[in-house]
Amino acid sequence: MVKSALTLIFLLLPALAHAQTPQADLRCIATGTDFVYDCTIRLSRAGKPLEGVQITVGADMPSMPMAHNTRPEQARSGTLPGEYKVRLDLEMLGEWAVKLRLGGPVRDQLILHYEFDSKGASPKRR
Amino acid sequence: MDAYTIGVLTNIGLFSFVALSAYLLLVAGELSFGQQAFFGVGAYAGGIFTAMYGWPLPLAALAAMTLGALAQFLVGLPTLRLRGLYFAMSTLAAAEMARILFELLHFQREVKGELTGPDGTQGFRGIRWIFEHGIEPIDYLGMVVGLLAVVLAGFFLVERSRLGATLRGVGQDPELAASLGIDIQRVKLGVAAAAGALAALGGVLYAHHNTYIEPRNFDIMLGVHSLAYALIGGLGTAFGPLLGVVLDIGALEGSRVFHDYRMIVFGGLVALLLVFRPRGLLDERMVRWLRARLP
Repeated sequence: MVKSALTLIFLLLPALAHAQTPQADLRCIATGTDFVYDCTIRLSRAGKPLEGVQITVGADMPSMPMAHNTRPEQARSGTLPGEYKVRLDLEMLGEWAVKLRLGGPVRDQLILHYEFDSKGASPKRR
Repeated sequence: MDAYTIGVLTNIGLFSFVALSAYLLLVAGELSFGQQAFFGVGAYAGGIFTAMYGWPLPLAALAAMTLGALAQFLVGLPTLRLRGLYFAMSTLAAAEMARILFELLHFQREVKGELTGPDGTQGFRGIRWIFEHGIEPIDYLGMVVGLLAVVLAGFFLVERSRLGATLRGVGQDPELAASLGIDIQRVKLGVAAAAGALAALGGVLYAHHNTYIEPRNFDIMLGVHSLAYALIGGLGTAFGPLLGVVLDIGALEGSRVFHDYRMIVFGGLVALLLVFRPRGLLDERMVRWLRARLP
């Protein structure tokens, strides 16, 4: 019995650890001004919305991340739980690695790859 | 200090390592377009050691520097026999081979229930050592600046020593240096290994700053910039490459004065300097002039 319980705990531990990693989803719409997008971030952990997180949003070009990047912006809370809003001012269209630096109750950094075009952004999977 | 300033200063510091590695080879008379490969070796190795095997960052950095040194030594064995443009071309080819190898590298294991490690073109996520150890961005900047200061102190000690004179001799007149009994190939291989270690140190720090790396981070653009920083800043002192990085990342990127035209301004600046000051702003003559006037 004890052995089975311990086995279960060891099997569940990785899943619990995975559950602690925050997940983010990004939706961006072009504002009409060149390369400026209004973005909505949905932040969750283990399927539940993460609220009260301070998110600093930046973006890097993958081929020159240290030189071509945007000024980090602080995201503000949205209307829905776990929702945050931010405006991104990019240098050009194409693929950008959007960097979400999480502070406050959660400390982490998430990198999301998105393809930005004249309408908005879509996830980039190579 | 706000997040943006800390970010720009950290990037200046990180770029400085790879620029100094290009500078070291330039002082020894070799033009390398491939330092990004060893920056990448350091980034991947450091990330693997901390994120996949739980090594502490200092130990991972030392191991990555050793691998970076070994990698550039091995690349140098056949390529340093080439001269001038042929060497430059061979370093570029080696760097592209390294980038393609990073694209083919799939080596993942489960860490805390999450698959971690290099996943080819998808990159390498979850290099979270600084977050797991509660290191704030300002502390990380302090770490980068501290290590850069140690590296610069090493450069100044070498430049004032017999070894420094040997390096400049090998770089400026290899035939004369060889006639004085200096083993040119051995000196250049030593310089290559040191440059590899330096670039790898920058790579380790970059990977842990960004938490994510991918093969495209180590393409030709990084190699061209690192070389350009050394050429803009000057070959007279190790402060030269730093000046080059500060001018581009600090002044142009930081102020965003030229915004969309930054790369045109940067390219123009390189072209002008190559015409009017081929050994950069802080060239040997300028350094002698400054030394005579400064206490």
